[in-house]
Amino acid sequence: MNARRIAAMLGKESREILRDPITLGVALAMPLIMLLLFGYAISLDVREAPLGVLDLDRSPLSRQLVRQFTDTEYFALAETYTDLGGVEEALRRGSVKLALVIPRGLARERQRREAPQMQILLDGTYSATANLLGGYARAIVAAADPAPPAIEVRTRVWYNPSLRSINDVVPGLFGVILMAFPPLLTALAIVREKESGSIQQVFVSPLSGPEFLIGKLLPYGLIAFLQIAMVMAVGFLWFQVPMAGSLSLLLAAGGVYVLCTVGLGLLVSTLTGSQLIAMLLALIITLMPSFLFSGFLFPIFTMPYALQLYTAIFPARYFIDLSRGVVLKGAALGDLWLNLLLLIAYTAAVFALAVWRFRKKVA
Amino acid sequence: MDSALSQAEPPVVASALARRFGKVAALAGIDLSVATGERLGLVGPDGAGKSTLLQSLAALLDPSAGRCRVLGFDTVREAAQIQARIGYMAQGFTLYERLSVDENLAFSAGVRGVTGDTYRERRAALLAMAGLMPFTERRERELSGGMRKKLALCTNLIHRPPLLLLDEPGLGVDPLSRRELWQMLDDLRAQDVTVVLATSYMDEAERCDRVAFLDRGRLLALDTPAALRARAAGTTFAVTRAADAPPLPAALPGVRSIKHLPDRLRVQLDSGRNGAEAQRLLAPLGTVQAVEADLEDVFTLLAPPGEDAATAARPAHPIAAGPGGGGISTQELTRRYGAFSAVDAVSLDIPPGEIFGLLGANGAGKTTLIKLLCGLERPSAGSARVAGIAVDGARGALHRAVGYMSQRFSLYPDLSVAENLRFFASAQGLAGRRARAAIAAAAAESGLDAGDPRMAGALSGALRQRLALACAVLHRPRVLFLDEPTSGVDPLSRHRFWALIRNLAAAGMTVVVTTHYLEEAAFCQRLGLMQRGRLIASGTLAALRTQAELAADAGVEAIFLAHLGRAA
Amino acid sequence: MAVRLAGLLAKEMIQFFRDRVMLVLILWLYTVEVVICTVALSFAVHDLPLALVDLDHSPASRALATAFAAGDAFRVTARPARETDATAALQAGAARAALIIPEHFTRRLARGEPAEVQLLVDGSNSTVAAQARAYALEIVEDHARDQAYRLGGPAARPPLGVALRSWYNPAADLERFTVLSMIALAALMVGVIHPAASIVREREIGTLEQLRVTPIGTAELFIAKTLPTLLMGLLAVFPSLLIARLFDVPLAGSLGLFLAYTAVFLGSAIGLGVLVAAIARTLQQALLLAFFGLFPLMFLSGTLAPVESMPAFLQRASVLSPLRHYMDVILGIFLKGAGLAELWPQGLALLAIGTALYAAAWAVFRREFG
Repeated sequence: MNARRIAAMLGKESREILRDPITLGVALAMPLIMLLLFGYAISLDVREAPLGVLDLDRSPLSRQLVRQFTDTEYFALAETYTDLGGVEEALRRGSVKLALVIPRGLARERQRREAPQMQILLDGTYSATANLLGGYARAIVAAADPAPPAIEVRTRVWYNPSLRSINDVVPGLFGVILMAFPPLLTALAIVREKESGSIQQVFVSPLSGPEFLIGKLLPYGLIAFLQIAMVMAVGFLWFQVPMAGSLSLLLAAGGVYVLCTVGLGLLVSTLTGSQLIAMLLALIITLMPSFLFSGFLFPIFTMPYALQLYTAIFPARYFIDLSRGVVLKGAALGDLWLNLLLLIAYTAAVFALAVWRFRKKVA
Repeated sequence: MDSALSQAEPPVVASALARRFGKVAALAGIDLSVATGERLGLVGPDGAGKSTLLQSLAALLDPSAGRCRVLGFDTVREAAQIQARIGYMAQGFTLYERLSVDENLAFSAGVRGVTGDTYRERRAALLAMAGLMPFTERRERELSGGMRKKLALCTNLIHRPPLLLLDEPGLGVDPLSRRELWQMLDDLRAQDVTVVLATSYMDEAERCDRVAFLDRGRLLALDTPAALRARAAGTTFAVTRAADAPPLPAALPGVRSIKHLPDRLRVQLDSGRNGAEAQRLLAPLGTVQAVEADLEDVFTLLAPPGEDAATAARPAHPIAAGPGGGGISTQELTRRYGAFSAVDAVSLDIPPGEIFGLLGANGAGKTTLIKLLCGLERPSAGSARVAGIAVDGARGALHRAVGYMSQRFSLYPDLSVAENLRFFASAQGLAGRRARAAIAAAAAESGLDAGDPRMAGALSGALRQRLALACAVLHRPRVLFLDEPTSGVDPLSRHRFWALIRNLAAAGMTVVVTTHYLEEAAFCQRLGLMQRGRLIASGTLAALRTQAELAADAGVEAIFLAHLGRAA
Repeated sequence: MAVRLAGLLAKEMIQFFRDRVMLVLILWLYTVEVVICTVALSFAVHDLPLALVDLDHSPASRALATAFAAGDAFRVTARPARETDATAALQAGAARAALIIPEHFTRRLARGEPAEVQLLVDGSNSTVAAQARAYALEIVEDHARDQAYRLGGPAARPPLGVALRSWYNPAADLERFTVLSMIALAALMVGVIHPAASIVREREIGTLEQLRVTPIGTAELFIAKTLPTLLMGLLAVFPSLLIARLFDVPLAGSLGLFLAYTAVFLGSAIGLGVLVAAIARTLQQALLLAFFGLFPLMFLSGTLAPVESMPAFLQRASVLSPLRHYMDVILGIFLKGAGLAELWPQGLALLAIGTALYAAAWAVFRREFG
């Protein structure tokens, strides 16, 4: 290792990056766009979902039921029908998401202390929406018919009492954004030199493999750190995400994670000589898993066991656990040492593989 | 400088060196030793293994068998030691286009630990030597081809390497820049730098201490240029043909090659034929005169007859002249980019069936002129008609009348020879029987196997060049534009290529060609010299010689330089 | 014209099928990735790790505990003896929720006083937390009613029954949705990336210039650069259809209509790809820009989060994402058996977006080649 050679490599690499406005622009604008989209778009509540009503009972009870639905902010009365055919057609067309079907005699049955039945029809195509709306509807119907509380549940949501989704999206995004860009940027930067042949000049020089990799790693690592800093700033200042734990622990873990993601990019670059393939590989082994199999949006414990093992291959889940732990739970190193250890081991393995695969040979 | 390098051991020693790529033996049984301060030239046909040998010496490739010692180190076990010391210039450009001249040089110095005053001194000396001092702030991608090569050489000299490996340093470089490049190499002689270089220019080979001739991975000859020339001595003759001489027979026994110059033939016989026999063989063709052999003749002699040979068919049918004739005429044709005129008021007339050569430095405007005439660029001012069709008018008619082969032999590397031909036939609107006939004719004229299943990307340069030509003439264009068609191709293949061009012209095709091989200028009927966008002179070689007031034996280079000097 | 076009198409096809590694990766996106996501991803929380602390040790408390263990929502992973152990499990992430049944639970129930239980939920994934809370409340409520009705207490009135029926996707599970949305996503990615990369690559190796010196016109070149991706996009749908079959996703509507809509959708994706190719100078830039364009389209489509839950301005913006309309179409055709009568607004929207992108791409293309 020679500091001067690495410095030369760094200087060259930084200049090339700074002179490519499109790449730099994408690298810096994209995390913010992701954050804003996630910050504003993911929320638990579906508001003013179009509601259809078929009221065949036309009793005070049925009218009260409908009012109970429309009084909430979750539903907005969009259509009423006179027969079941109208309901079917509306659901198929997608003009309502949920239809309330109140049969004739509901109020009378209730008077007679029989068990009255009403129907709620859901459009199940967007199942996430359907699940949410189904839950609301149940709660509304239950509230319409208050029974004396026999068991009272005192719920306390820890770490995020208001259940603001942005509070857990921001620390989750650290893990996703750092997996989405740095590997892709790094891999493309090296494979591009392979395609143009300029890498041969590097091969025939005293620059060793590790020095070359460090020269690539640091500038892209720096960009990654800029990205994370921007996301943190916007998250903490604009979205007012509370920070329960220690910022320095988060930054330290972030440093390890950045090394890991850039290392994955280096590894991808040693596997292929084509930029298109490097991109597809990055898509498959870094971006999609960090989105889908990291616990960021979809909880890992609901996955089948085999796929829970599959998620363990990708480092994003360890970091997302860690950053949510620090930001939301105020967890300290004592709680998170295992995740940090796994990350460090992972990073070391990635670099060992990359250095092993990287040869100063053309064939 | 290197303690590991003992006095006794030469800087480059290869013993029984072999390298295979899959089933192909790129190098086989190479034994080679290069002395300190020696300049060794590697020549040979495409695919001979020149680049593979250089990459093996640079420790970029491990040998499949045998071994290689460079500067006293083993290329497999001590690759890092070698790569830290030598200079290596790969074929094509290996610099960073987004960095300036200075930044590229600084990077190269930085990774090699050249710093402080040492760096400043060497930088100044190198940039001055390369004539790049005024352009230190310029980005690499804005440099001309010649400047790029000189810069690439500078970046490889910054650490004073004892050994320099150069792969086709003169490729795509204009004659002037090439002279400057060689001036830099000559300056290195004083420093005892050992140089191994691959080249397709025979004048460059002539300037080497020894020349190694490679073919299909084997070392066929290794000797001084003079000794090599001696091998071909007495086999070459100039034949001056009478105006009414009968056409040449298709094949002559004992004749190795015939080069067609505008005023005479240059004939080479198989070695071992004596003078009397030569007279008997050649006398029926015209007046015979013995001439001195040059390295190119040695090349022809050593290279076994290729897979293709000069058996290419002549066009069976003359090219139809069309309503507007087949020639080119331009008036004050101009193309400006902002304030810069890439082509500046060029007026010229080329009659149908003529081979017209365009010469000039990198960036003189040759390529832009060709692009204007092909309709790839719109003129800013002036007008031009190609085969009677205005170049700024409708594209369709123009594109049916012209064929174009770009500098880079633009083919689809992932399509086979046959697929490339079929595709370009259909691109010209040819289908069914007409397409098959056109492909068969173009392949025959280019000496190609139309059913070749190999991918275009896997072909040698010479074959790719001929495939590109076949693709450009499928639709029997009346005018053919060839932009540096012979760049990087070995001398023998270049000659075969020129035979193809001559055949096409004989059938009535007008050919406009650019080249950096000045000896090829002699194959053109007329020449145009370009400088900074202007056409500074045009005419036959003899006329240009007279205009420049040069002696009758003045070579192309002298004529070229004289005109450039006068215009400047 | 026909000959030239046929030649161009044949060439693109050969090139596409020759790049084995790329084919494998694309096929991976269309098949393996679809399967993995479908099996793995679920918005509906189940098997949530629950720490259960029963301090009462009575039949009533055990009955409530059984109610929690019986459903799908929770999986009781620990039954610590003390409350602090439960909170520690929560902090360590071993449990995502904890239910604490206090002492005197039975005594209070018997006295007719409201008996209190405590539920602690880990809010570090708010979506999960909200669902967990709702499930727990539901379980407790059902349990209480059940007990009250059986005991026939003073307020024993039959509860208002609700039959919740999810149409088109009876279990309202994510599988069917995921299969279809992953297919749509794969189509979008390949549709944008492939034309962008293939055009920039031809520019880099110089064949684009070579094509310009043939009678091939701008229109043909444009069609030739877009049609193969379109055809390949349509072909690539078929393996995915098999997978959809595998997951019991019915094709309720017409296959022809589905393919027609897919073609229109791919058209808009390709338009974006060509635009990207026009802006980018290098392959690296093209790939990054493609990525840049893909993400918001994906996001605003409802594949990751329901469009209905987005703020108004994003819901309006989502109208611009062709993927959003295509999701409506693909879900409609597959699950609802919808036809043109229901899907014409999406068709119009897709056509409008496609036309706009195509026109922009065309304009840029023309300026470069014309």
